[in-house]
This record gives sequence, C-alpha cells and structure tokens, in this order.
Amino acid sequence: MQNDLIKLSGLSIGYKNKIIHSNINLNISDNDFIGLVGPNGSGKTTFLRILLGTLKPLSGTVEKNNARFGYVPQRDTVQPLLPYSVFDIVMMGRYSLKGFFEKINKEDETIVKESLEKVGIASLKFMNYNSLSGGQRQRTLIARALAVNPNVLILDEPTNGMDTPSHHSLLNLIEELHDKSKLTVLLVSHLLSDVANLVKKIILFEKDNFQIGKIDDILSEENLSKTYSAQIKISKIGSEFLITSKHPRSYNGNN
Amino acid sequence: METINILIDLFPYALMGSVLAGIICSFLGVFVVSQRAVFLGASLTQVSIAGVAFSFLHLINLEALIGSLFTAETIENSFLHHFEHTFFSLLFSLIAVLIFSQSYRQKLITQDGLLGIIFVIAIALRIMFIQKSPVAEISEIEAILKGDILFIGPNEFYTMLVVLLIVFLIFGLFSKQLKFVTFDAETALAHGINSRFWLLFFYLTVGIGISLTTRFVGDVFTFAYLIIPSSIGMILGKKVSQVFIISVIIGAVIPPVSIFLAFIFDFSSGPAAVVLAFVVFIIVYGVKKLV
Repeated sequence: MQNDLIKLSGLSIGYKNKIIHSNINLNISDNDFIGLVGPNGSGKTTFLRILLGTLKPLSGTVEKNNARFGYVPQRDTVQPLLPYSVFDIVMMGRYSLKGFFEKINKEDETIVKESLEKVGIASLKFMNYNSLSGGQRQRTLIARALAVNPNVLILDEPTNGMDTPSHHSLLNLIEELHDKSKLTVLLVSHLLSDVANLVKKIILFEKDNFQIGKIDDILSEENLSKTYSAQIKISKIGSEFLITSKHPRSYNGNN
Repeated sequence: METINILIDLFPYALMGSVLAGIICSFLGVFVVSQRAVFLGASLTQVSIAGVAFSFLHLINLEALIGSLFTAETIENSFLHHFEHTFFSLLFSLIAVLIFSQSYRQKLITQDGLLGIIFVIAIALRIMFIQKSPVAEISEIEAILKGDILFIGPNEFYTMLVVLLIVFLIFGLFSKQLKFVTFDAETALAHGINSRFWLLFFYLTVGIGISLTTRFVGDVFTFAYLIIPSSIGMILGKKVSQVFIISVIIGAVIPPVSIFLAFIFDFSSGPAAVVLAFVVFIIVYGVKKLV
C-alpha cells in the first residue's frame, strides 16, 4: 500500500492575478514516478515552484506528509565563478539539515561520499565543478539532492544539452534511483519520448488545462497534437516509445 | 629603512589602516565578483560619497541629537563630528543595497540598468548637495568626501578594525548559508534555506564594508580593491579557500607598499595603491596565460 507524501487540494497556480491552472487535486505517493510535460509557458515550472514551496499558490493547499525534497535544478542555472569542488557542492545538500551554527561532521561526510557513489562519480570528488562535462555536472547536482536524504527527487530538465550517450546514461541513473532507492521521482522534461519511456504517470500541462493519468491514458497522438498544436506521431520500437512532431511542411504536404 | 621608519613615525595609523581597508575590500570583493555584482561595488562607493555630501547640508543635526541623549563626557566631540558623515554614508549605502536586493521582484529593468541609474544619480546628488552646503569651500568638502589613506587616524583605524572583525565573523559563522545561496540560490530556497534573506544579509554586510572604507580611503581605492585582488585570487586559486586567502594577502600587502613607494616617488598614495595592484594583476594574468 502506497502512502501519500504530498496532497494538493483545490490548488490554483499562477502569478498575481493571472491564474494559469485552477482546481488541481492530486496525491503524490511514495514510489511514484511522475513526468511533467507540456509546451513552453504551460505552467510546469510554476507548478514545480509551488510544490517546492518557493512560490505560494493563489489558493488551495499543499500538504507534505514527511516529504523531504531533493531538488535538481536546470544545469545551466548553476555557473559558479568560484572553483568549487564536487565534494563542496554535494556537501551543500547537507546544509539545509543543519542548525544555524552547526558544523559539518563525519556523518555528513559519509553521506556525501555515499551520494557520490550512488551517482557513480566518487572518483571526481576533488575535481573542480567547472572542469566537468555536462553529464558529470548533472550527476554532481543529483548527488547534492541525494545528500539531503530525500524521499522525493525532483529533476528539472536533467538531460538538457547533453550528448546521446550521457543522455541515456543519466536516464538510466534516474530509473535506478527510483527502482533501487525507492525514491519518488518527479521529472520535468520537454522530451516526450524520455518521459514516456521512463515514468509511470504523466501530468500533461496545456494552456488553461492539465491532465493527470497513466501513460496509456495520456499518450495518444490526438491528445498530444491538440496540446502542442502540432502534428505529433507516436511510434513504438520494441517496447520503447518514440514521439516525434512532424515538420509543418511535410504535414501540410501529406494532408 | 630610514624611509620606513619615517613613515611609521608619521603615519602609523595610515599604514595599519591601509592594510585593514585592503583586507576588508579584497575579502568582500570575492563575494561581489563571484556574484557577478561588480557594478554594485562601483555604485555603492558613489552612493556612500553622496551620503557624506548629504551630511554637509546639516538638515538633520545628529550631533545635537546624540549629544542630548548622552552626556558630553561619554562621547568625544571629534567622534560625534565624524559620526554624522559616517552615519549618512552608511544610511545611503544600506538604502541602495535594499533597493538592489529587491530588484529581482520586477522585470521592467535589469539589475545592471538599476545599478547604472543608482551610480549616476549618486554622482549628481553629490554635486547638488555640495553646491547647497552652507559650510566650507567646495574643494575642501570634495577632499573630505573622497577620503585619503594618509588621513587615517585612530578613529578610522579602530572603526575599520571593528568592521573587519564583524565581516569575518558574519562570513565565518554563516559560511554554510553563504556558500549555498551564492552558488545556487534557487536550490537553497527549495531545500529550506531562505536565500532571499541571506543574500540581503550578505549584501548589507558588503554595503557596510564598502561604505566605511570609501569614507576613509576613497572610492577609487575601495572599488579597485574590491575587484583586483579578488580577480587575482580567482586566477590563481584552485579552491574557494585559496581564492579568499590569495585575495586577502594581495589586499593586505600592496597598500602599505604603495604608501612607501608613493612617499619615495612623491605620488598620492591612493592612486599609487590602485596602480600597483593593477601591475600585480597584469603580471599574474600574463604568467598564467604563458604557463
């Protein structure tokens, strides 16, 4: 039996007087694996910020029952000028659990080491973050989120700007964290194929509307084409989804 | 050696004060430069001067106000006299920091644009305040406004010593929060650290440091020592702690050496300190490029 970690009731999200979505009712349970998809400006980031508590909802409530978040931001938003080491950055994950003047201790160091091992970059511990590849940086940020000892891992566009091998390797890591560490995962991505092949549930944000459901309920060509205002094609290669949008010219030509 | 002895006899507080001013600026400079807020440093030096210029209008008689609260025996007159300039310098700087720190709430103007406006307005206000000042010669006020390393006396020295200790204490005690919010404010907030509060707190500390050093050693010295030592530290440092240490060493060593050289070659000590820091920067940059 799954326990509800987060309960959203009658939630309206938006900024000032502009409501983006209203009446969101949703339970997020332990071991859920949810993908958040939708076109640009459809409210994914706003929803995420409200969930994280960095933005207040216009109305409604967000109940967190022992939910501890580990947040992985978009990699491009983190570009330090100072030469932080991988260890320094992962240790930051421990800071939010410490008191005002409390110093880091052996236990924190052990947890940081374990987090680095989980994401497979223990050997990069003393490397300068700025000298890492995109994939290694992303793993560092995931390790920092794991150092919080979270039960909910939230990733915002984790594979943005990565080459294909790094991209797939990272998706495997996220899947592994969900399967082995039993983490509830919320994955925001604009790459529909990634989300479809990885998650168990999808929240599809549209302008003025949103849908929540299992993959098969949400993923239909008709539904996605309507949401993205484009001709979306869903193919299956083996057991994997391949979701593409048709080029407008070929779309017009074929029709 | 004889020159050094003369300097120590004539300007003991200037020599020690220049070290303190250099350390304060170079330490805070690492924070300012790493936050990509260099223009904040430039703007705050000008705002600080505008605050001192405002004090010459004597619209609010702080001396009388404080004198009525405390007896004449408890506070020296000279301290009161200096306090008014320093108070308004601090007040103006802190208001500017507060405005800057809230700029993320709006999207009508960029932070750079806002700082540019603060910068030019501060200069314009300074000129207008001086023109309307009922006391002394304009050139005399300008000299006071600009500060000078050689004019550092016991009051200035001990004030800077207190500021330095406060800065070290704040950045040391709250180094966890400092690291996280300056590295990634969004995630810090998501993980429960109030990054808006902490950034404001650190910026206010920077504002106090910049305001007081500008008041005592001048805007050119302050701005230069915010930027140049920390830039050298970033070029040479392989760890964050090394960046701070290198920056502080540069900030501590160059100013007294500059006073010595300025004395020998008959230059103003403030500009000499800036030029010498720049020479060191060029050498470090060149060597780093070649190696």
